[in-house]
Amino acid sequence: MELYKFLPKTNCKKCGKTTCMAFSLDLLQGKVKVDDCTPLLEPKYKTKYEKLKELLGSEEGKEKELKIDVDNDLCDGCGICVTVCPVNARYCPPSLSGKAPDYPPESHQLFQVKNGKCELLNLKYCRRLEGEGQARECRVCESYCPRDAVKIDYM
Amino acid sequence: MVGKRVKCTGCSLLCDDIIIKSDGLYIDEVFGACLKGKERFDQITGKNRILSPFIRKNGNLVKVPLEDALNKTIEIIKSSSKPLLYGFSTVSCQAQLKGIELAKIINGFIDSNSTICQGKVLNTSKQTGMTLTTISEIINKTDLLIFWGANVAESIPRLLNKALFSRGKFRMTGREIKTVIIIDPIKTASFGAMGVRDIALQIEPGKDIDLIRVLKEKCCSPNSTPSKGVAGIDSDDLRRLLIQLTNTENGVIFIGQGIVNSTSNPKVIQELLELVQILNAKQQKGRMSVIMLGGHYNMAGFDQVALSLVGKNHNILFSNNQLVETSDTIISKIDNEDFDCSVIVGTDPISHLPWKLSKKLMSKPLILIDNKKSATFKVADIIIPSAITGIECEGLAYRLDHVPIELDKIVNPPNNVISDEKILSMLIKGLKTI
Repeated sequence: MELYKFLPKTNCKKCGKTTCMAFSLDLLQGKVKVDDCTPLLEPKYKTKYEKLKELLGSEEGKEKELKIDVDNDLCDGCGICVTVCPVNARYCPPSLSGKAPDYPPESHQLFQVKNGKCELLNLKYCRRLEGEGQARECRVCESYCPRDAVKIDYM
Repeated sequence: MVGKRVKCTGCSLLCDDIIIKSDGLYIDEVFGACLKGKERFDQITGKNRILSPFIRKNGNLVKVPLEDALNKTIEIIKSSSKPLLYGFSTVSCQAQLKGIELAKIINGFIDSNSTICQGKVLNTSKQTGMTLTTISEIINKTDLLIFWGANVAESIPRLLNKALFSRGKFRMTGREIKTVIIIDPIKTASFGAMGVRDIALQIEPGKDIDLIRVLKEKCCSPNSTPSKGVAGIDSDDLRRLLIQLTNTENGVIFIGQGIVNSTSNPKVIQELLELVQILNAKQQKGRMSVIMLGGHYNMAGFDQVALSLVGKNHNILFSNNQLVETSDTIISKIDNEDFDCSVIVGTDPISHLPWKLSKKLMSKPLILIDNKKSATFKVADIIIPSAITGIECEGLAYRLDHVPIELDKIVNPPNNVISDEKILSMLIKGLKTI
């Protein structure tokens, strides 16, 4: 969001992305460079361009990997992340008192609760990597964890 | 090894979606259970487990065979005229049934943990009436959840997951369609699960009754907007709360310990139940209901069993094998030392009760039937180990929404350890034959 503020926000598609938001997300992950946004090189966006360069610093262009970190000391296995994860939701069969992940877990399943702690199974199907448009900004597991045990980061 | 779907007895939610991998002797892996549930499954091999009967001789606990412990218990009960039976919240309904039967033949006073917990709400509802609901209905229909004096994220960890985040039949989007209101004096971990539409109300301690009275008044007179705040809640928040209460289709109020054991005014529960009735009288489409949040997994069971058996759920006193009316409670009984021996089943009153009462309780012979070592274990005169219901023996338990759930046997109990139901049956048999 911080990076998006300094983009032209015209959705001109000159960079090959559909929206400026998508460009900013790729910029954060290091998939594209600031110079890929051609309108930004124009004189009227000079301050924004410089600000972006300053924000990214030496990190620019270095491809970063998505990392979901579950703090085992904080987690109490409530399983909210398992239920809210949109990818998981497809594979949770209903039980007498709500939906719950099945065993053995589906290959697409992101989280499961094992021995009272949340466990990350498979990151490659996460919406942040697989999804399109708005879905790529998915942060439900992080925002709804009552213990703040789930953290999404790019390393 | 294949997974097996079992029920968890970690708390009163009795989750039925837990999957375990077991070889019939031990439980290797538990899937889906929270830390509380995991602790319960770990208890079978835990170092706090009681594996043999004990009798206190000259101040020391001595291991004895089960027969000796049972005979000594029968001897103590036989010689006492005013026995006290307490606990029965972490045993099956079948054992609770036997407990009441035992109290009847020994002319004892029997009560459960519910008397100092959610039983207060149940007793109040006998005058006011109460609208109950079930977890399934909350998942499928409810759009407003009010947690009043309850920190569910820590006390019943999976309740938020099920009640709030699960995608129900008529609430397909789950979390997005449901609104949460938390009323609590302190900012608990439950506040962390709140979204932008939710309302967090930090009420001043002991002033719940003022808020309830204002809500009752405003709900009775339509189109009246609160001009000033109450109990530390400003008028804007009060207006939002009022709009949510009156406009919701299906709402539920979770009554926690914070309001049940509120010392400010004993009428607070009655006023709250009356507020629910007022809201329901105005309700056109759905209804407002309450759920009592208890801790022990079968606390609701004792109320149900006792009500069906003797028509009374608390302060059950027998005399000449008949139920008699009494104004005594378990607290007054212990405080006045109006007992000469106590039988504690599956609970730990020495750590739950104040020191003044604990001291009086341990001054008389104390018989403990439990599966884990606790503070009561340290002072008990006779200890009889029991199997863990729901893991080592089957039984029936009532969930917090008063829905009966059948518990299964997963692994065999240790040698010479039998279920609470069998222990109580043997005591009854022994007392009848002598």
